[in-house]
Amino acid sequence: MSVRLTGHPLSVSAAMRALSGRGLGGVVLFAGRVRPDLGPSGPVVALVYEIHEMPALRRLRELEGAARRRFGAERVVLWHRFGRLKVGEVSAIVGAACAHRAQAFAATRYLIEELKASVPIWKTERARPSRRPRPRPSRRVGRSAG
Amino acid sequence: MARESVTVLLFGPARQATGTGELAWPVSLGGIPAQTLLRELARRFPRLAPTLRVSRFVRNGRYLARLSTRLRPGDEFAVHPPYGGG
Repeated sequence: MSVRLTGHPLSVSAAMRALSGRGLGGVVLFAGRVRPDLGPSGPVVALVYEIHEMPALRRLRELEGAARRRFGAERVVLWHRFGRLKVGEVSAIVGAACAHRAQAFAATRYLIEELKASVPIWKTERARPSRRPRPRPSRRVGRSAG
Repeated sequence: MARESVTVLLFGPARQATGTGELAWPVSLGGIPAQTLLRELARRFPRLAPTLRVSRFVRNGRYLARLSTRLRPGDEFAVHPPYGGG
């Protein structure tokens, strides 16, 4: 499945398998991971991702089609996690398989930039606990999808 | 007059500004223009107002083209602050 929103860990090797195919000489795969940034409340230990499922899936499918039309991508992976992710965990995997590397690089760059700009996904930083009072826990961390 | 509600979904900074991800917003059976609901939201949650100014809005899964669109009881209305996936 090339479009996926999930609360479970993402597998780079599974994404590579999804991008394999005869004649696909150029495969580019991008994996985004949670960075240990220094946030306003202290060192970031996790990010909480929220997704608005229905419009997000619709937009991801539009992007998949655009990558096929504009760059000749024959296989596309657009996967994103939701929920709480610790530093180092993979939040997103985006990739494209084409006949040649130039199209594969261009398609993957297009997909990750468009995903960040136009897919309804939000992240909230969670900093290392301090002596200050903890914020109230969120009632909802994400909306699931297949 | 009987009253029903619109489900308001709040994501990211909008959820942080209100302390909740979902509200049942009472409306009359005839509904309410989206811009009126937004004004009422900003009045109830003053910290939300700056986020509303830079947000997009989604009604029943579709982006709203006009804020004059009337929201009916049973509708889902989502506030989409600027996105930040990846």
